[in-house]
Amino acid sequence: MALRRRFVPPVQAVKGGWKVNLDVEERNLLLRLVAELEALLSGDQDHELLARLYPVAYPDDEEKEAEYQRLMREELLASRLGSIEAVKEALDPEGTELLSEGETIALMQSINTIRLVLGTMLGVTDDESADEADDADTPEHHLYDFLSWLLEWTVRSLSPD
Amino acid sequence: MPTTLEPTEVIDPDLDDAAIVDRPWIVLVWNDPVNLMSYVTYVFQKLFGYSKEKATELMLDVHHKGRAVVASCGREEAEMHVFRLHEHSLWATMEKDGPAS
Repeated sequence: MALRRRFVPPVQAVKGGWKVNLDVEERNLLLRLVAELEALLSGDQDHELLARLYPVAYPDDEEKEAEYQRLMREELLASRLGSIEAVKEALDPEGTELLSEGETIALMQSINTIRLVLGTMLGVTDDESADEADDADTPEHHLYDFLSWLLEWTVRSLSPD
Repeated sequence: MPTTLEPTEVIDPDLDDAAIVDRPWIVLVWNDPVNLMSYVTYVFQKLFGYSKEKATELMLDVHHKGRAVVASCGREEAEMHVFRLHEHSLWATMEKDGPAS
């Protein structure tokens, strides 16, 4: 990552919207990741990597839980796919336009969803394995760190003080 | 001297009491090792309109105690909160706020 990154936030709130300071390669990487997420979300619904994305709502009530999943799972999927579409438009590699708040939130949600999937892949299941993941040195772990960094700045740009 | 009429003149209803009578469901958020602290705080602020202080306090409860009650309300409203928390990929559940809990 270029040194200038330390001084220019990757996502920042500016007058009239949100500015994405990512280069073409970084934008393309994110676009590839959201496309992979889209494929994962749209594929086999029993895929183990999806489990964390559809948490149980009613742990004490099987009947209400089945009802919740029946009604909400599809809506949750639609919401995530909607965010992905917004990110695809917002991150056009040639794009220079400012993002709206909605697009920035979509970006935040998609990055977070990808982090969750990646976290599941890397076996991050508790605080201990999260610390181990922080120290590990594989391409996947670096990608995870990159997404954490990007998410942190995106959240910061959106956070009311 | 108190009269029998006085107890009906509720000046400042206790919100906790109201919660038990009218709002039998609680929404819980559980600790997970992936979601960032700043992200969780932001989601609490955005979804529930909490101040940064309150949202941070709840986030730290989740982090240190493993879970926190983020809302107490009717079932439909609780379900909507859970859905929106799931939409933000937080690990949320809901349960009846019975005397046992």
